[in-house]
Amino acid sequence: MSASGSRTPLGLVVAVVEVLAVVATAATLVLLFTNEPEAPAAAPAADAGAGGGGAVDGAAVYAAQCATCHAADGSGGIGPALAGGAVVAAFPDEADQVQVVAEGRGGMPSFGDRLSPEEIDAVVEYTRSL
Amino acid sequence: MAGATIESEQSRGTGIAAGVFLAGAATAVLLGTYGRVHDPTGETALTAFFSGQLQFKVWAATLAVLFAVAQLVSALRMYGRFRTPAPPWLGDIHRLTGTLAFVCTLPVAYHCLWSIGFDTEVGVDRVFVHSVAGCLFYGAFVVKVSAVRIHRIGWVLPAVGGTVFTLLVVLWFTSSFWFFTTFDGALR
Ligand code: HEC
Repeated sequence: MSASGSRTPLGLVVAVVEVLAVVATAATLVLLFTNEPEAPAAAPAADAGAGGGGAVDGAAVYAAQCATCHAADGSGGIGPALAGGAVVAAFPDEADQVQVVAEGRGGMPSFGDRLSPEEIDAVVEYTRSL
Repeated sequence: MAGATIESEQSRGTGIAAGVFLAGAATAVLLGTYGRVHDPTGETALTAFFSGQLQFKVWAATLAVLFAVAQLVSALRMYGRFRTPAPPWLGDIHRLTGTLAFVCTLPVAYHCLWSIGFDTEVGVDRVFVHSVAGCLFYGAFVVKVSAVRIHRIGWVLPAVGGTVFTLLVVLWFTSSFWFFTTFDGALR
């Protein structure tokens, strides 16, 4: 900031990049607080409703809410693998799986207040079929 | 040189150092608090031209580590650890690579904090170590950047610089390296 004397072209580049970095940092901080997904559950549900005659599309919910952590094909990532019968093995009783999705566990966020019970059922069904 | 001057200089330096360390500690704590309190959105933030969020993140983090290696090498050279003297432009290169490394970490940390959150299960596992190191990294970064600007306190700068570097490498090992070795099929 208070660099003195004559500035070399490289010094100028550095100064510009530093200013941009400060702006990027500020933007990141602002986004952390302002970027709340508005009713994230509403979008997939509405899509599914339009195309699926009222039934909730578990695949759409999965793609929107779960794929970041469990991978698009359910092979796992931040969260464990769900596909290939993994969840069926882990949750012989489907209700237990519904509970984990609704209430969360460890690094797994709770979806009870973000997805409707129908959406949770649909996405659970979907993961059991992967 | 008069002893009194050195002494008051020293205590002033200590005061400033304490303030800088407090600022760093506050940064780390605030980030951790955000990660803990904020309801993880679980959403994708930015994938650039990659197939998924994690793919983007692991490569951005890897780029940050590469820039950080350039940081380490240029710093060693500036501190005269190589035979040849440092060229005059090396300081600028050091600042440039440091800034770029930092910028690379921003979208990564943003997604971690905003979408995933701070792992609350204390223990020596990947996610918890990563969570803590992530907060400490930015705290140490604040200390490093302030120490450069405010006061050249001898050993503090290389020590803090080394800490920032080490934390970044820990972060990389507990995320990108883990990802590369766990999902070798999904790198783009
Ligand atoms: C922010 C990342 C993240 C998101 C988003 C996420 N999960 Fe998870 N999930 C995890 C983690 C981490 C675990 C492991 C939890 C633990 O520590 O026990 C997990 C565990 C699970 C489990 C238990 C698996 C087992 O074998 O015990 C199920 C089922 C599951 N998730 C389903 C879902 C569904 C369905 C969605 C989308 C509605 C979803 N997850 C979204 C991170 C996530």
